Amino acid sequence: MNGLYASVWAETLKIRKSKMFILTLIAFSGIAITMGLMVFVSRYPELVGNSAMVGAKASMFKDDWTSYFGLLIMMILTLGTIGFGTITGWVFGREYSDRVVGDLLALPVHRFTIVLSKFIAIIVWCFLLSVILFLFGVATGLAVNIAHWSVDSAYHYFIIFMVTSIFTMLLSTPTALVASYARGYIAPIAFTIGTLIVTQILFVGIPNTTQYFPWAIPSLYSGVSGAGGGTPDMISYIILFSTILLGFIGTVAWWRFADQK
Amino acid sequence: MNKRINEEIIRTENLSKNYGRIKAVDGISLNVNKGEIYGFLGLNGAGKTTTIRMLLGMIRPSSGASYLMGEKVHSGSHNLWNNVGYLVEIPYSYPELSVRENLEITRRLRFIHDANAVDTVMEQLKISHYQDRAAKNLSMGNAQRLGLAKALIHNPKILILDEPSNGLDPAGIVEIRELLMDLAHNQGVTIFISSHILGEISKIATRIGIIHEGKLIQEMDSKELHQYRNRSLLVDLKNKKDALELLEKRGFNPTLTEDGLIEMTLEKALFHPEDVNFNLVQAGLSPSMLKVEEEELESYFLRIIGKGAF
Repeated sequence: MNGLYASVWAETLKIRKSKMFILTLIAFSGIAITMGLMVFVSRYPELVGNSAMVGAKASMFKDDWTSYFGLLIMMILTLGTIGFGTITGWVFGREYSDRVVGDLLALPVHRFTIVLSKFIAIIVWCFLLSVILFLFGVATGLAVNIAHWSVDSAYHYFIIFMVTSIFTMLLSTPTALVASYARGYIAPIAFTIGTLIVTQILFVGIPNTTQYFPWAIPSLYSGVSGAGGGTPDMISYIILFSTILLGFIGTVAWWRFADQK
Repeated sequence: MNKRINEEIIRTENLSKNYGRIKAVDGISLNVNKGEIYGFLGLNGAGKTTTIRMLLGMIRPSSGASYLMGEKVHSGSHNLWNNVGYLVEIPYSYPELSVRENLEITRRLRFIHDANAVDTVMEQLKISHYQDRAAKNLSMGNAQRLGLAKALIHNPKILILDEPSNGLDPAGIVEIRELLMDLAHNQGVTIFISSHILGEISKIATRIGIIHEGKLIQEMDSKELHQYRNRSLLVDLKNKKDALELLEKRGFNPTLTEDGLIEMTLEKALFHPEDVNFNLVQAGLSPSMLKVEEEELESYFLRIIGKGAF
């Protein structure tokens, strides 16, 4: 039984037994189903009767698979960023807020392994949520019979969706550092929302800088950010992966060297 | 000489930790030999937990070092922890996981291949009955037992325990005390145990160190403890005025306590209370009570801390 296996086992047990796990499964599947139903409502606005708000929202959803896939990608960029950030903040921050971190610091398992196993658990959890969002979205879309379905198109957008999702989940490494530094999960959630707000401000105010802001790059890659956003280049990807790497190294270094009071 | 070195299990050398200008721990040097129970006594905030965290590599010392079984402690010395069980402050566990699941995590992270280790330690700490209960629903005493179970599951050679009696009822305190004494005396486990209650520590420790404001102000064998405590001879009788005059004349230097008892602290009175009795009876002042009283442990502790040195 090696340290990584034991540590990943422990992390998955903690996740499986948490309310957070069930809540995220419900949230991601529920939102995916809602997306499909909104397209259905946009086709039959009389279904919502006098509800102007639902009617107005539904009008934003086009009865077309290309638009619908775009919506799903938009969801993974927003809901994914918030969801993955919250998950990361919880996995690292709960050790401090539940005051159990001491149990992980003087073990035969190296602290690097503890941190690595947490990231592995986060990636698996986030990957599962991404697949659920896509599959439930597609299933609901098929159920409400959205126009112009094609397997080739579905595969094409699935790849973009998953790569966008992977970029988004990997960008959680700085969030882990914030959670560890702040010793809780409020600060990482605030940090995640902050990155989302800054990304939006950059897209609206100075779109030509978005290529160099790590949290905007998944959106640029996916192509759903619109014409003003530009396309990510080599430097963009270097910035993206440097941010991910620095977040990871920073978190490992924090667990390894910082005083754990 | 070599034998002595080999027996030295815990050692700190001028161990210090500063937080800005505050000296949380100030130059502590101590050693604990194999099979000893070292009671580390101090008030809240005296530096006990900071010292323990440095012993466990959780906090980096500002200066000095600590050694366990001869190996220098640092945050990367993970192999060392195979031999160490610990409990720091209030033992929290993952609240939504059951007692068994919490222990199972510890078992796996400590590479214990024996799957029965969890059952064994639950039996040892008498928490088998609660094995399926979520940790968040445990009483404080049982949460403490779970913390101790996590510290003991791998049969460590060294136990570092921070206030292990917290939350335990009187029966639980006795039970844990007996368990720790058995581990030290019969299995050679070296135990470093902190507390702010001298009365509790004196019942278990073979050696006691008192820490105050970050400094180790006194170290002694627990057998020596009574030598350091103030003692007095207390006498009660009807005619105290005459008795005081008589004893003053005989050179016993008596005083009257707030409780209206005659008190003498000179050695001639403490070691020969029969002489005091003889003098009083001869003068027709028969005492109704005569006893040598040792200073309460807590008042001794507070006196030591108040003086700052012995």
